Amino acid sequence: MKIAKSTYLFIFTLALAGWYLFIGIYLNQLGYYNQESLFYIEKTKIVFEGLGNRLKVMGLTAPLLPFYSTFIFSSINSYLAPVMASAIGTAGLFYLISRSFLIRVKDDFYLFMVAILFVLHPGIIYMACSGKAIYLVVTFLYLFFLNLLKFYRSNTTFHVSVASMCLVTLIFCDYRFIWLTLFFIPLVLSITLASLNLGEKESIFRLFMSFNSPSLRRKLINKTFAIYVILFILPIASLICYKLLNQTHASDLNYFIESPLATWNVLVDKLNYDTVATAVNYQLPELSILVSLRVIYFCPLILFGMYLLRESTYQVLTVITLFAFVEFLHIKYDKLFLTYQYYLIFLFVSLLCMVFKVHTIKNKLAVKLGLAFVIVLQLYTGYIFLTHSLITDERRFITTLNRLNPNTDQSESKEMAEYINKLPDDTHILMDDAVSYPIVAFTNNVKKLTLPYQLDTFLSAIETPYKYDDYILIATAKNPFTGYTQLNDKYIPEIRRLNSGVNYKRVYETDSWILYRVVSLQ
Amino acid sequence: MDTLSISIPEILVAHGFISPADQEKIHAFSERSGMSYLKIALNFGYVSRKNYERALGNAGYQFADIRNEAFDQNVLDKAELKFVNDQLGLPLRIENNKVVTIMADPGNDLFLDFVRFTYDLEPEVIVASDLEITWLSHKLLGDKYVKAAVFDLVKRDPKSSASTTFTPTQLALIFVLWAIIAIGLFLNFKTVSIGINLIISSFFLVAIIFKLFLALVGSRFELHQAVTKSDLRNIVNDELPIYTILLPVYKEDKLIKKLIWNLQSLDYPREQLDIKLVIEEDDDKTLNAVKNLDFPSVFEVIVVPFHMPKTKPKACNYGLHFARGQYLTIYDAEDIPDTDQLKKVVALFKKLPENYICIQSALNYFNRNENFLTRMFTLEYSYWFDYMLPGLDTLDIPIPLGGTSNHFKMDALVELGAWDPFNVTEDADLGVRAYAKGYKVAIVNSSTYEEANNNYWNWIRQRSRWIKGYMQTYLVHMRNPVALIKRIGFKGFLGFNFFIGATSATFLIYPVLLIIFVCYLIFDFSTIRNLFPDWVLFMSIFNLMVGNILMIYINMMAVFKRRYFELILFAIANPIYWLLHSVAAYMGLYQLITNPFYWEKTNHGLSKVNNPTNVVK
Repeated sequence: MKIAKSTYLFIFTLALAGWYLFIGIYLNQLGYYNQESLFYIEKTKIVFEGLGNRLKVMGLTAPLLPFYSTFIFSSINSYLAPVMASAIGTAGLFYLISRSFLIRVKDDFYLFMVAILFVLHPGIIYMACSGKAIYLVVTFLYLFFLNLLKFYRSNTTFHVSVASMCLVTLIFCDYRFIWLTLFFIPLVLSITLASLNLGEKESIFRLFMSFNSPSLRRKLINKTFAIYVILFILPIASLICYKLLNQTHASDLNYFIESPLATWNVLVDKLNYDTVATAVNYQLPELSILVSLRVIYFCPLILFGMYLLRESTYQVLTVITLFAFVEFLHIKYDKLFLTYQYYLIFLFVSLLCMVFKVHTIKNKLAVKLGLAFVIVLQLYTGYIFLTHSLITDERRFITTLNRLNPNTDQSESKEMAEYINKLPDDTHILMDDAVSYPIVAFTNNVKKLTLPYQLDTFLSAIETPYKYDDYILIATAKNPFTGYTQLNDKYIPEIRRLNSGVNYKRVYETDSWILYRVVSLQ
Repeated sequence: MDTLSISIPEILVAHGFISPADQEKIHAFSERSGMSYLKIALNFGYVSRKNYERALGNAGYQFADIRNEAFDQNVLDKAELKFVNDQLGLPLRIENNKVVTIMADPGNDLFLDFVRFTYDLEPEVIVASDLEITWLSHKLLGDKYVKAAVFDLVKRDPKSSASTTFTPTQLALIFVLWAIIAIGLFLNFKTVSIGINLIISSFFLVAIIFKLFLALVGSRFELHQAVTKSDLRNIVNDELPIYTILLPVYKEDKLIKKLIWNLQSLDYPREQLDIKLVIEEDDDKTLNAVKNLDFPSVFEVIVVPFHMPKTKPKACNYGLHFARGQYLTIYDAEDIPDTDQLKKVVALFKKLPENYICIQSALNYFNRNENFLTRMFTLEYSYWFDYMLPGLDTLDIPIPLGGTSNHFKMDALVELGAWDPFNVTEDADLGVRAYAKGYKVAIVNSSTYEEANNNYWNWIRQRSRWIKGYMQTYLVHMRNPVALIKRIGFKGFLGFNFFIGATSATFLIYPVLLIIFVCYLIFDFSTIRNLFPDWVLFMSIFNLMVGNILMIYINMMAVFKRRYFELILFAIANPIYWLLHSVAAYMGLYQLITNPFYWEKTNHGLSKVNNPTNVVK
């Protein structure tokens, strides 16, 4: 019977992957792309087809794991690779969660609820069909918390170390999760306190007893420190190593989070914030305390999850840590908006709480009715959060999906790329993919392009473009990223001043881009 | 000398050294086992040798010095060592129409009758210490046993013996490989160096990932109890089989008292224990320490006659001839096993299928906090025995047995040809040999606490022997790789290569790579940069960083599991500890070529830490 169920689950997972792929490919046909997936497509093209120091691109492109996961599918179709990765990854996540329900809860109702969420929740569809890295973030966060909760139950090194490894992978999917380590300090102390063999049951009195006995105090500190080390030394050390790798290969410790050549969100986040901050239709920004309230509004199920864990302080603290984490992110990155994934993680943590504790509730009917209501409510809030999102990519996704009209966001990039594609194969075009990566992503032949990853050639080409290249792609003043590249409207006058023997002729122009042809007068 | 008017047992009772109840027990045990009354009284904790000597003195006897007594080979030829050993008597020569016989118990009628019937003459008894008699009888009669201990495996299964270190094919292969590399370097230095570099980097990468995988597999089952408390409760003491414990020692006089204390704490019926302290012929220190004990001893002494190679496996093989048990284990002199370990093993053997012939207990250290070295050693052993071996066990890969606390089924051990006396890590070799014959090894949830080496030079010597032994074992089993794959399967073959082969290789390569890395960092040699094209550099950096981090982390996991929280940060010092390994590896390699069978003796008893017996409640 159990085998049949898991087989059924597997078949449903395949169908779900098909559903996500259908939506994702359809949206792709409508022209929906987001900055993140375009960035991965562009970097994948460089790695597979480029000329020059491709290993640096492969090693220092961030976030690393989502980038690598698109690799796997790029052989099928480089434009659909991110979508395929996210669709199959999300279906895999569904299988993971439903297996947990199947093994631990053994009630088909909950499986059904999970299935509804995965099929209909707009946020999950966004996660699966956008080609963004959210699916990996959510999966590894889920696995991290799953193993942490298993550790609470079994007290085995295996689970705490697997949790630690999941955190490493999570950080390589989204660097910001390193800050979780900060909020785990009180939590780890609480875990240790709970594991001490004391007669007293109340946490606060246990703490009092532990601190007033030298031997217990030593034990408490040693164990707290040990758990902290075993949980966090791996992510911290990995990050230090990765930073050193950045230092040795890019002469900048934070290259992977600060350089627009290494990661997509440096410029996109700034643009999102600037656009909203200067917009006429002023929207209510995220305020500190309101972030937690927004989370509860987005995912009321988390309250039920916390209620289920109410019997152990440190398990509730584990969930609260996530609240503290998103609040911290909001303060730390005050000029950025919290993206959808930081809300979505609460949905999966609440499912995790249910996996572990829902069977302890006696009044099953009430729980099921309540749960069904909350899940329907969450489908609505998930939709509302996308439509009212402060992030352009998120809004565009849901509007494209709603209207099923062609999305023209990338038409300008496609137009320019199409022109470049028509140029002969032996032409060389100088461009800066820190800002023009969508155009690179749509070109057919990256060998034609002189890009920053070809470090020496690129620098020389910037100085003397006429020696290396036939064309130069310039960002116009209207281009929102014009301030972040050297190849902007100030570049051509400057280069003309330096060498009057060369002229530059506009050959193709869009609102944001101008392609100049290098014309030698000598 | 006349025989006694009253018997030794009566004298001992009369002096109050043995109670009448114990006397009956000893008699009954003597009848069952064939051992003399005195042998049992002295070796099963009834009476101390000092008291025995005192009682005998009061009866008018003094122990004679017998080591230089003349002997007649024809007389000796009629005596069988096992009988002599059990009866503590030895006929030496015929003099004045009497058989000059040395005896520990001049009233032992069985032995006196044996002399009368065998030689058809009356015995002339010289009373001597039982230990001196044991020493002399093994020296004079032990030749065939010691020869069997040394040459049995060579005769029965020469392909599995390390008596030949390098076969001609292996030598040819090594030299051809060197020649190819040298010619390659001469013709195209850069490409060949990059190639070597790539092979080494890939090898390290695979070895690291394999070890992490093993550790995770091992840690997955850390809550699994091979033997539960209820299994132990179901054991009936009267049904327990005889259990042999071999204690091969050499110049361990300081540890004898501690050893008795630890052995006495074992939760196993005394009469079902067959404990044998196996000492070398020239080891008067240990023999005298046993002789001078002022409390009852709980083991029998076996003296190994001189024969090269002077190794622990040879001593064990020799002791095996006198073992009576259904099961057998080996402990070192300083070992403190969990008190219920033997019972757990018996219970586990009953639960396991027939083809499981060995059970390995975890080893750990009682003096872990003594100094840096003992801390590092504890980290290493925790990871090895708690994660790696269970990981190998789960994946059904040959387990290199630990030096002690491996428990065997006696008949299977004999069938395997016991230990290879020419191999200095005979335990690891035996593990692989057992797998090759289709047998399996299991891990039991019980620990033995040893003394970690706290002296650097002593540590390096011990480790050089281990690494040399791994090299020997690797060379022995890789004489015919195809045959090895057939015997242990491809998975076992890979495991063997990455576990036994890679261990020595990584320690040999580690300092070379470290020197290259340091030169690269400090001097920024352009030549080195040429040898590391970007992609090789990436892989090497990955190995250096991720490999080191992972290995450190696995060590941390292991001590975390053992709840040695205070040691967790010491795992960071592993790269320094590995350098010590490298020193030992080069020393081992040198000895493998110049002196392959030399046994680097580890000095025990250096620790100042006293650990109470590990009573398991």
